[in-house]
Amino acid sequence: MSNVLEVQGLHAGYGAGDILKGVELTVAEGSVVTIIGPNGSGKSTLVKTLTGLLRTRQGDIVLKGKSVKDLSPPERVRAGMSYVPQEYNVFRNLTVLENLQIAHEFMSAGRGGKRGKPLSDEMEALFPELPSRYKALAGNLSGGQRQMLAFACALTVKPEVLVMDEPSAGLSPKYMTDIFDCVKRVNEMGVSVLMVEQNAIEALRISHRCIVMANGRVRLASDAAAVLGMRELQSLYLGDVKEAEAPASAAAG
Amino acid sequence: MLQTLFNGFVTGITMTLPALAVTLLFGVLKFANFAIGAMMTVAAYMAFALNAQLGWPLLPSTIVVAIVCGLLCIAVDVVTFKPLRDRGSITLMVASLGLGFVLENIARLFYGNSARSFAIEIARPFRVMDIRMNKEQMITIVVSTVAMLAMYFLLTRTPVGRAMRAVADNPSLALVRGIESGRIIRWTWFIAGVLLAVGGVLIGMDRAIEPPMGSSYLIAVFAAAIFGGLGSPLGAFLGALAIGIVSEMATLVIPPNYRIGIPLCVIALVLIFRPQGLMGQAHIRR
Repeated sequence: MSNVLEVQGLHAGYGAGDILKGVELTVAEGSVVTIIGPNGSGKSTLVKTLTGLLRTRQGDIVLKGKSVKDLSPPERVRAGMSYVPQEYNVFRNLTVLENLQIAHEFMSAGRGGKRGKPLSDEMEALFPELPSRYKALAGNLSGGQRQMLAFACALTVKPEVLVMDEPSAGLSPKYMTDIFDCVKRVNEMGVSVLMVEQNAIEALRISHRCIVMANGRVRLASDAAAVLGMRELQSLYLGDVKEAEAPASAAAG
Repeated sequence: MLQTLFNGFVTGITMTLPALAVTLLFGVLKFANFAIGAMMTVAAYMAFALNAQLGWPLLPSTIVVAIVCGLLCIAVDVVTFKPLRDRGSITLMVASLGLGFVLENIARLFYGNSARSFAIEIARPFRVMDIRMNKEQMITIVVSTVAMLAMYFLLTRTPVGRAMRAVADNPSLALVRGIESGRIIRWTWFIAGVLLAVGGVLIGMDRAIEPPMGSSYLIAVFAAAIFGGLGSPLGAFLGALAIGIVSEMATLVIPPNYRIGIPLCVIALVLIFRPQGLMGQAHIRR
């Protein structure tokens, strides 16, 4: 399998000093990769740097064999990198339909994006709650519905890789199951996914690979199933599965 | 009473275009542009040059000036505001004050301080239901209404309009949805320039063309935009009408000289009781 995304020796940060200190990772074509790690390990900074919201100071980001590190965020979107931010992930003062229209109009740049239906049949099956709410302001949706809309927007143009920042954050258990189910089905359609997650156990169940970050570096890259089985890693980053009260706060990375 | 209400309505509708320009610029660029008064003045003088000095009819003069003014606004942004964009909204606001002085005095340099007027026939006022109105007021109402409808169409039915609202709503999300902010900023300035040019001509038609004509509307226009909720186009429209009517009606109880205080009181009351304005959303600071 070839890699759809390669991150090589990535340095980035705010102000003086780097938060990312040489991150190396790959996303194989057609796989789901989950990044876990404690607070302050640099997960969000990594996502911001990948999408271009934060400048790459050193190293390279290679998407489908081409370096994208000098591209602006809109250019990276059109190169095939879609992004679902954690919060503020929809235009709240625009309707659901307008959110989807914008995704169609500006993300595609000639890469498909059929006019006419706001959601393809495939997407309607994936997000059945959205069509009935087209006229509603996105700000009036529930948290779960907003996440679904953000997800749908990111998928209007089939991306090479979908980057998601804590897709299950703040969602009710029902939506949490739904969203991971969506990720799985999207992956089965052939989209590679890179996500940062706090609900590590649920996320790893649908992942192929797991990357553990700490202090701005990758500490471990392994098969997701193997990480789920690692006792010491579980107690370090995932929280003990059975004795949930143990270091649960340390797990929420 | 009805007459005052009508006058207030006309005053208000004259302000809808500049108030909309203020609110669009604020929404997309996140700063209060105090140069809009002087921009209207300059536009009115440009229309005066074409109309009164070159003898063009007022309508084509206005169209040409609107386009030129739109392009000038883009140029002004590149020269003045773009280099300061990362310095924060206060710096940009102060820069706009300075720009306003410069523009107003450029107009003064060419045309002096004396009041001028467009070469249009003065028509006799007429009466409808005992309300006195004149042709200029009718033109103002028609032009403003058409412009507002056009803006509504632009903002809700075109990709550029939707993108402007998206950038105003959430700039970083707009970037990762593929919207080039530079292009949207240029469009916003162009549209604001067109609105200000038309507004300047309407004001020049109603009153006289003189250097402080635009800045005399500044406080009322800002009051309208703030009352409506900065960043909300519909709010700007309703706010302008409300400020116009309230200011005019107030002259029934207070001396007309103090009329200018009314918008200031409105600003103060809005900021105390409903800081986000009539239609505005509570601002999320990140």
